Amino acid sequence: MEAGSSAVGRGVAWRVWAFVPILLLAVVVGAFASTGDRLLDLVGQSPPPADELDIRRVEFRPGEIRVLARNPQREPITIAVATVDDAIVPFTTDGPDELGRLRSTRVVIPYDWVADEPITVGLTSSTGIQTTAEIGAAVETPTASARGFVGYGLVGLLVGVVPVALGLLWLPSLRRLDARWLGGFLALTCGLLAFLGVEALFEAFELQAGLPGALGGPGLVLLGVALATLGMTLVSSRLGRGSGATGLALALLVAIGIGVHNLGEGLAIGTSFAVGELQLGTFFVIGFMVHNVTEGLGIAAPAARERVSVTRLAGLALVAGAPAILGAWLGGYATNDTLAVLFFGIAAGAALQVVVEVGRYAARTTPGGLRSGAAIGGFLAGIAVMWATGLFVG
Amino acid sequence: MPKFTRKKLLCLTAPLAAVPIAGKLVLEGSSAEAAGHDHAAHNTSASHTSTSHAAVGHAAMIGEGAPAVGGPHDLDALLYPPPALPHEPGRLRELTIVATDREVEIAPGVFFPAWTYNGTIPGPVVRATEDDVLRVRFVNAGAHPHTIHFHGIHPTNMDGVFEIVERDGELTYEFPARPAGFHVYHCHATPLKKHIHKGLYGAFIIDPKEPREPARELVMVMNGYDTDGDGENNFYTVNGRTFYYARYPIRVKQGELVRVYLANLTEFDLVNSFHLHADFFRYQPTGTGDRWEYTDTVMQCQGQRGVLEIRFAHAGTFMFHAHQSEFTELGWMGYFQVEE
Repeated sequence: MEAGSSAVGRGVAWRVWAFVPILLLAVVVGAFASTGDRLLDLVGQSPPPADELDIRRVEFRPGEIRVLARNPQREPITIAVATVDDAIVPFTTDGPDELGRLRSTRVVIPYDWVADEPITVGLTSSTGIQTTAEIGAAVETPTASARGFVGYGLVGLLVGVVPVALGLLWLPSLRRLDARWLGGFLALTCGLLAFLGVEALFEAFELQAGLPGALGGPGLVLLGVALATLGMTLVSSRLGRGSGATGLALALLVAIGIGVHNLGEGLAIGTSFAVGELQLGTFFVIGFMVHNVTEGLGIAAPAARERVSVTRLAGLALVAGAPAILGAWLGGYATNDTLAVLFFGIAAGAALQVVVEVGRYAARTTPGGLRSGAAIGGFLAGIAVMWATGLFVG
Repeated sequence: MPKFTRKKLLCLTAPLAAVPIAGKLVLEGSSAEAAGHDHAAHNTSASHTSTSHAAVGHAAMIGEGAPAVGGPHDLDALLYPPPALPHEPGRLRELTIVATDREVEIAPGVFFPAWTYNGTIPGPVVRATEDDVLRVRFVNAGAHPHTIHFHGIHPTNMDGVFEIVERDGELTYEFPARPAGFHVYHCHATPLKKHIHKGLYGAFIIDPKEPREPARELVMVMNGYDTDGDGENNFYTVNGRTFYYARYPIRVKQGELVRVYLANLTEFDLVNSFHLHADFFRYQPTGTGDRWEYTDTVMQCQGQRGVLEIRFAHAGTFMFHAHQSEFTELGWMGYFQVEE
């Protein structure tokens, strides 16, 4: 009995001991904080805060400009003056005068802006530091109307669901291919997913670079990539019951990977259009359709050796394509750069994880494995096709 | 299987979807109740279409609507010069000018870390009559070396160029006031651009032997402020504060002679200008000689100055501003309120 209780005691002590570093840290932090800046003064004087705001979004409404601004620094910032094209203008804000760390406010400026012309909006802090946002062309920002909602939905449908569904129609043709050719197409799927993954990764890094230091950082991208990679691994092991996904399950994985990517694509289209950076022309939509039709082929290839019902095919098309609709809505009406970074990280991780899954499957089913001409050729062709059809978009 | 996945996707993004709706509610709430902080009175009740032009026009930039700092008499000492004294050769005029560093509020909520003569930008109006002897005791209470360089005719050791006054030091400048006209003074320590732009300058009137016709006399020093250090001005003013005379129009009488001593001490921009609405004035460059121009717009290079004489033909509100539209809209604009 005695020995037993002392073992329990030691167990508790071990747990209590785990809190000691935290408690000591609190004590040290408290002691340091109470010295004020005296200790740091030994090092030298700190430079004044940059006082630059982070202008997140500029919206144009009839007779009005709305600016969403955030304080990205530790010290508070007061917005004292608003300017439009280098002219001081009256404004109102819906937040406090003094913006604390990472706090946002919406600045509303009554202004008779000129449609389709470049415009520069500036916010000046109480220390006179001016942050400006240059807008390439002022275009009225869509509001949440039923019409616009349907419009964005249609754009998402056209660039997402339709091409993927069309691509899936290659399934009957794929069925007739011999193992070598099918392996080639599986490798092609890998190639195009690798392309999408790299694209998303690049987008994520680019976006995070524009975020305030406290919110951004490559770590956020890594978090997204890790979330997706591990999440997809989990889904894959569930679907394949431990031995890696095959057939329809693998097709579903590919569809998820592509779907996450298409959500990002829709987000990008919606945002750029909403802030007047993008001409959403016919050619642009056609470009995306051509670009995305290969994604359908990618989903179909792993399922070529199985019977798939039309309902399931439609389900796959929706998983891969419908997120573009959701993305367009989100991008059109709201953006959150921090979430977007995480999101593109997730898209990259998902795509790259699916490359691994499909690659493993292709290695098993393709004669000659991944070193065969079909696999190598298919992989390179996948990248080349995505690059070539991407020319339509750019 | 696909159902499960879609649901997951939706779960992931559902919080995002709520953002626009919430944002919209917040916005509509604030504009409907006009609960927002009104930074420069604009008509919040103005509808978004037809009347929005009124809110962005000049009507919004007068009186309470003009974004200017301070009370109605804050700048009186800079606007109204001390009286002219009759000609009396050799009379001693003594004054003290102290250079200090201080933050000056130049536009509502915008604080400029300034170097000043006697605490204001521009510095005090210095006035003498021709052949007076000026004795200016200069005390440097700032953190940097400074001087005072007066324009005029004087010995070079009184020129404020070679004798740099170090921190906590002082120097007395003594020189005869000549020639008659309207001049300026400013710091001439290097880097010159920095020392002038920080606020070390002011107006310097030398009255002629034969006094000018009695008039309502005003001093206007045009300047600019580069608040973000990019070598371009962010604000423009007369007598140091944006839109000050738009908020507090200068009151004069119809038919009375109004004399404006106008100087340009703007840094970075090559020229500044003065344009009067709805009337004309005569302009005497540098306040010297017999050559007067009859116009409604004058242009001055950095350091140039002159004397304007106006006799308003009508009563009413007369706008004046730089004819560089950019300067106007960045603070250099005001009104004369002409009363019958």
